[in-house]
Amino acid sequence: MTTGSAELPVAATAHRPLAKKRGRPGDAVFHGLLLTALGIALAALAWLFISILSNGLGNLSWDFITSRPSSNPARAGFISALKGTLVLMFYTVLVAIPVGFAAALYLEKFASRTRDDLEAKLRRRERRIAERRAAGAGGPGMAFAQVRLAWSRVWVRVGPPVNHVLDVNISNLAAVPSIIYGLLGLALFVAIMGFSKSLLAGGLTLGVLVLPIIIISAREAVRAVPVSIEQGAMALGATRLQAVMRQVFPAALPGMLTGSILALSRAIGETAPLIVVGGVTYATREPSLNPLEADAQPLFAMPLQIYSWADRPQQAFLDLAATGIIVLIASLIVMNLLAIWLRNRYTRRW
Amino acid sequence: MSTLSPSPGGIRAGRRRPLEGVVLLLLGAAGVVSLLVTAGIVFTLFNEGSGFWREVSVVGFFTGTDWFPVNDQFGVLPLLAASLQIAAIAALVAIPVGLGSAIYLSEYAPERLRRVVKPILELLAGMPTIVLGYFALESITPAFQNVGVIESGRIYSMLSAGVVVGLLITPTIASLSEDALRAVPRSMREGAFGLGATRRVVSTRIVLPAALSGVMASIVLAISRAVGETMAVTLAAGVQPNLTADPRDPAQSITAVIVQVSKGEAVRGSTIYESIFAIGAVLFVVTLLINLVAVALVRRYRTIYQ
Repeated sequence: MTTGSAELPVAATAHRPLAKKRGRPGDAVFHGLLLTALGIALAALAWLFISILSNGLGNLSWDFITSRPSSNPARAGFISALKGTLVLMFYTVLVAIPVGFAAALYLEKFASRTRDDLEAKLRRRERRIAERRAAGAGGPGMAFAQVRLAWSRVWVRVGPPVNHVLDVNISNLAAVPSIIYGLLGLALFVAIMGFSKSLLAGGLTLGVLVLPIIIISAREAVRAVPVSIEQGAMALGATRLQAVMRQVFPAALPGMLTGSILALSRAIGETAPLIVVGGVTYATREPSLNPLEADAQPLFAMPLQIYSWADRPQQAFLDLAATGIIVLIASLIVMNLLAIWLRNRYTRRW
Repeated sequence: MSTLSPSPGGIRAGRRRPLEGVVLLLLGAAGVVSLLVTAGIVFTLFNEGSGFWREVSVVGFFTGTDWFPVNDQFGVLPLLAASLQIAAIAALVAIPVGLGSAIYLSEYAPERLRRVVKPILELLAGMPTIVLGYFALESITPAFQNVGVIESGRIYSMLSAGVVVGLLITPTIASLSEDALRAVPRSMREGAFGLGATRRVVSTRIVLPAALSGVMASIVLAISRAVGETMAVTLAAGVQPNLTADPRDPAQSITAVIVQVSKGEAVRGSTIYESIFAIGAVLFVVTLLINLVAVALVRRYRTIYQ
């Protein structure tokens, strides 16, 4: 190889960034198409917001929030819808949070054991029974231990597939269209259990609707707590349940609440299931905030009021729908900010 | 957690307290509630709608081209066709826009832009569908009328419904696909760059095929959401059953029929009341099948990288 002038250009190209290759025209076109795609998505969102704000801001006032529904668009307000939503959310939380959190703890901490775990536990129980029998133990305690041993033998085989089914089932439930939950609520709470088509029936329906979403997010929060926390508690003599309830659960709680608020912010805008359960599009009286009276309150909430306004031909009502949407979106933003604050304030990094 | 639990012979976790069994049972019961919900859905759809199948023949239901309950005509085809047609329009909008955004955000965009844009897109995903319905009525249909695609004076059309549902499912595709694309290891991209590939070639020939299972699953899940979408479709496509191939026409989807009948205070036990459970069952089965396809796709095409 000759040395000298030929070496310099080579060294120079090596310093050029690799990404700056000479592109073919196709590259620029492709880049442009991708940017267009993203641009379309963002432009549509901007158009949506502009359309709502320009039509709805005109009506937005304290009077709008505190007035009752009216057939006169100039006097119609949102207070009945707001109160209805508050009562709905009370029942949604009442159903979904306790069941969702308990299910998440169970699925993550007790059910998700592998076959190996279950077999080790079975052998431990067998050994313990043998020890106690050798020591001459008997009576009801021994019988109880035998029952648990028998259960262990069954669960070693049945447990893993059952837990797998539970997993698949929950992710499937989260993808079921919300209107199907409406049909479930109509049949279960109204037709079979005999509740009236009320805020109670609607709130319970929304509770069932968000349950799978809450379980999924709560499980993630439980999973994020390191196992060493639980092991530390058990090493100090806590039972597994004590370790989970007193160490894991409090540590996971902020994450669980964050996920729940996000799930509720989905429930708050759900319209279709409420209509199916028997939601009305016009509230003749202002609903009471007392949850105990919810069974006697007609099912009415923010999204139903917006739907009823949007479904009318007059432009004045369409604009009211936009105003209602502003209030609805404002409550969603508040809930999301609350969730973000909660996450940043209380979530511990391990 | 399994391998590290206290060893059987040595230190043992504390002795069970008397009430522990009860608490465990309660936790387990909560875990099983989700199964009960599924069972409840299947049971109510088929039980509340059981009378319907005595009144209407199964063959007539699945092959009938008219949905006209007043005349006792219960053919599900026009409703199913409308639902699928709207979902197809939505997919035509959402796949290019969503996937394009995902590739741009994952392969081209600087990290700071990505961190700003992704939450904004997810904002669109969290938008209540009634809002999108309003948007279709108030903005999209008039826009189509202005450019002459839809004749003026026509309020409802599958086209606006499809476009707005497309907007609704775009973030699902964008967000989930972007996750899948970013999960492809960096070394694969760098290997291709090292061989002289341009960014476009790396994106389309290396990253996209490697992330295909996740990308396909996101599309299928989005389509399933489009089929079950209710409020935007009801407001934008109207409540007139209509078997038509022209997307500019109004047509009533399965979900819109359920809404319309529910608003009409149908009496329990009447055929019209039972019919919404029957078409609800059809909707449930269709979306379930689509979701199962998504699960199967992920399993079939999943590639695991070290």
